[in-house]
Amino acid sequence: MTEILPFVSNIRWQDVFDITLNSYILFRLYILFRATNVFRVLIGIALLWFIQRIAVSLGLIVTSWAIQGITAVAALIIIVVFRNEIRSVLQARNLKAILWGFSGKTVDTPVEIIVESVYELARTRTGALVVFRGKEDLAEVLQGGIPWRGLVSKEMMTSIFWHDNPVHDGAAIIEGNQVTEVGVILPLSHRDDLPSYYGTRHRAAAGLAEATDALVIVVSEERGNVVLARGSDMSVISRKEELAKILREHVGVTAEEWTYLRGGKLEIGVAALVSILFITAVWFSFTSGLDALVTLEIPIEYMNRDPEMEILDTSVNAVHLDLSGSGALIKSIRPGQVQVRLDLNKAAPGHNAFTIADENVALPPGVFLKRVQPSVVEVTVDVPTNKKLPVQVDWVGRLAEHLILTEVKVNPENVWVIGGKRILKNVSTIYTAEVPLDNIRKTGTVNVNLMFDLGSVKIAPGSTDRIKVEYVAKERPQ
Amino acid sequence: MCEDIKEFTPENQAIVFSITIGRISCFTSFDPVPEETFIYHNWFRRDKLSKRIKLSLQPPRWSTFSSFQLREADQGPWRVEITDKDGRILRLFRFSITD
Repeated sequence: MTEILPFVSNIRWQDVFDITLNSYILFRLYILFRATNVFRVLIGIALLWFIQRIAVSLGLIVTSWAIQGITAVAALIIIVVFRNEIRSVLQARNLKAILWGFSGKTVDTPVEIIVESVYELARTRTGALVVFRGKEDLAEVLQGGIPWRGLVSKEMMTSIFWHDNPVHDGAAIIEGNQVTEVGVILPLSHRDDLPSYYGTRHRAAAGLAEATDALVIVVSEERGNVVLARGSDMSVISRKEELAKILREHVGVTAEEWTYLRGGKLEIGVAALVSILFITAVWFSFTSGLDALVTLEIPIEYMNRDPEMEILDTSVNAVHLDLSGSGALIKSIRPGQVQVRLDLNKAAPGHNAFTIADENVALPPGVFLKRVQPSVVEVTVDVPTNKKLPVQVDWVGRLAEHLILTEVKVNPENVWVIGGKRILKNVSTIYTAEVPLDNIRKTGTVNVNLMFDLGSVKIAPGSTDRIKVEYVAKERPQ
Repeated sequence: MCEDIKEFTPENQAIVFSITIGRISCFTSFDPVPEETFIYHNWFRRDKLSKRIKLSLQPPRWSTFSSFQLREADQGPWRVEITDKDGRILRLFRFSITD
């Protein structure tokens, strides 16, 4: 308890907002996809992920590897296989419906009108095929179809299946209180056990009912009866009340509608609560316990440099950051998430020292900076310029006592160098690398490189840093 | 640049001097000297001025020199700039002080 209280008191408003936002997103995803197969598959993937974590914790190498692969592939498959359902959820609704609306069976199907229409068609021996969608998407199994989007009425139903109507042979799809499509071609059943007097219309109804959870009503043209196809069942419905009851059950409207609504609210409430609890648990798993410490070497980014000046030298190119945070957050840090930036806007020509403070370090949320090493970065900026410098040999060691070096000639005598104007102002000679005297016994020649010990000063393009040194050694007079 | 000056003559002119000799000199001779003036001997170790000596010149010709006592810390490349009273470089000598 004593450990929890300080932790809770450290919760920032950003954390509350973070949990609320993500809980709502999760809740909305549930609301949008709850009636589709996508949701069931998502639950399956979540279960796979959970099992995989258990397998990892138990050290089941092959199992965890296999489930990880399946989960990764499943995430891709869900997008490909259920693209139509995802599209229908996202496209069929406006932004308000996606962000706020509660989908569901809010539009009642006019069961009485449909039943009356169907039996009127049967009485007049007008063949008809009417489809009521279940929870599954029918787009993959239906063919053809003409968008209709007309409100269901007895007259509308009669006219759709009227003999002279070009679309009367196809099926009509009813969703809510609308006939959404007409002239739709259904897949035919290949069953052998259907009565021989069943024609194409009956076989189409059976085919769709077998392949999906849709409910199909067939009105027989020859016998004038009403056949209902659901799953693998085909049954003649002679009573209007019976058909009405079956239809109500299928479209989700029962006599006790208030019970359904109350159940719906309860479901939504539970979903909201579960979303909050789940995201809160995830948040706690990420942030609880500032137990992990990591040291990262991060390159320094220099910003807002005066365009006329160049960075000639820096004391370090990268700094070591000691970061703390929860183990999960520390482990998930990617290289691009941590940045160290120094503002050179106020840098003066020459040597500048910058102390790296918190505002110079960009960190992912929930990760804290403990220490910067080194905390001070020295940066030399200057206007780059060229300068011609004479070359001088840097002799070292000890010349044999009987010898004197009387002359030296260097080639080239001068070289061009490039460096900061301020630095080069005080430089009047460039020296060679050390040339040892110890082995000199007579006049000779040696080739040697120039020594650039000024850091930012470099040989200019076109100049050479290889110097030929010719020297004259004479015997020391007695 | 020389190791010693005897009877106003530089001895053992060289470009490398060992600190073991203890002292080195920069000998300069001017002919003609139109009027009384003075010059400077500016001793630089690398690019840092180490010693500045003012020397007078007398007509019609004049020789003069400056000397430098060598210490262990003086090892390295040196130069002596001979300048007139206005700072114009008249001559420049480069040499090294070694072990």
